[in-house]
Amino acid sequence: MPEQISIFELVSNASLLVQLVMALLLAASITSWMMIFQRWFFLRKTEADLATFDEHFWSGIDLRKLYGQLEGADDLTGIEKIFVSGFKEYLRLSEQGGGDTEIIMQGVQRAMRVAVSREEEQLDRNLPFLATVGSTSPYVGLFGTVWGIMNSFRSLANMTQATLASVAPGISEALVATAMGLFAAIPAVIGYNRFSARVDVLMGRYQTFADELLTLLQRASHARQTRQ
Amino acid sequence: MPEAMGWRMRWLPLLLALLVHALAVSALYSGWHPERELVNVVTPRIVNSRLVVMEPKAKPKAAPAPAKPQEKPPVVQRKVEPVAPPKPKPQPQPAVVKKEAIPDPDAIRRKAEEEARRKAEALRQQRLQELASQSFEEALQEEEDAQDAADAEAVADEAAMSYSQGINELVVANWSRPPSARNGMKALLLVELVPTGDLVNVSVVESSGNPAFDRSAEQAVRKARKFEVPKESSLFEARFRRFYLLFQPEDLFR
Repeated sequence: MPEQISIFELVSNASLLVQLVMALLLAASITSWMMIFQRWFFLRKTEADLATFDEHFWSGIDLRKLYGQLEGADDLTGIEKIFVSGFKEYLRLSEQGGGDTEIIMQGVQRAMRVAVSREEEQLDRNLPFLATVGSTSPYVGLFGTVWGIMNSFRSLANMTQATLASVAPGISEALVATAMGLFAAIPAVIGYNRFSARVDVLMGRYQTFADELLTLLQRASHARQTRQ
Repeated sequence: MPEAMGWRMRWLPLLLALLVHALAVSALYSGWHPERELVNVVTPRIVNSRLVVMEPKAKPKAAPAPAKPQEKPPVVQRKVEPVAPPKPKPQPQPAVVKKEAIPDPDAIRRKAEEEARRKAEALRQQRLQELASQSFEEALQEEEDAQDAADAEAVADEAAMSYSQGINELVVANWSRPPSARNGMKALLLVELVPTGDLVNVSVVESSGNPAFDRSAEQAVRKARKFEVPKESSLFEARFRRFYLLFQPEDLFR
């Protein structure tokens, strides 16, 4: 039954190199889907944490009290880490030093910048992989296809009577590689674009929060300095 | 909480990724076959041109003759002659049936009809008596003759078949389809050849209703010019000196 060639037969009849390409693409596809889901869960959780913390922070709670709550915990979320590192630096500097607002603010700003960039690292993790899969797997698939078609035409050269039926299976199996490449690339590209946009939004909110906290601390520090 | 987080972050995505691929593969597998079957539906035939041999027109004379005995074209009548002799039996009946048929159109009143039927019945009885009066041997001989003729005809049929196949292919190969050709068009051509197979004349007997299509069919025969025909003159005379070609495209999409 030549018309009933299943896709599995096509794959199993392909040449070794094409099969390797297909295996590579399958692995890339599975990995990129894994990362897509992982990023999705992670970003969703991060966004939810950010919203919860924002609400808590602006509810008028005393910052020292909030710091006291968070300091001991070991599973701080991104935004909490930024707050803790900034506030810790503020406390330390204001206890040690003479209370020069300028110096304190510089220290706090630096500490929070470090925390924010650490968070950015966390958020951006795995996204380069998605970008790589998205941009290269079509080419890898194309390579497999070109190789397969090359072979099927080369075998055609030895035949006395060239029919469509003698090349069609080879071309069909070669095209499976391109299909797999696209299958891997399309979700990866969509995932990359979507997630990097969400990461950008999150980073913007972290920055904003850091600036707001800095303003609050500067005001407190200034008040204390004038009191002294 | 970190334990649960680890599970969620590590294994759930893997599970979901595998699920996505399993779904994709199963969709591909189930959607694979219908597509392939659809491709196979397309028929490679371009046109069905058929040799219409005359004697099928002679045979129906035996049974469904009452339909329209007057409408037969003269060409057919002429052609019938060489084929008819080996079949003496069916001849008497048409004579009877014809008589029965004639009053039919006139029969507006029932009485006339009945009268005609009675007359026909009488004629048939007479004929039957004649037949019965023939000796048994004569009848047997007649029967055998008919059998032999049928056998010979079957052999000739087979031989003619391969030649007519070749003619069909040649004509189809020479046919260029006019844009106005549609499924279901039929053009009947009369083709006349000489024993070398060269074309003498071709004419449209029954138009398809589309002049362009008729012309294209005629042109196809003219372009072929020379056909492969049987060497035995008897077969040639019987089947290929004059024959009808039915032109009918079948593969077009509406």
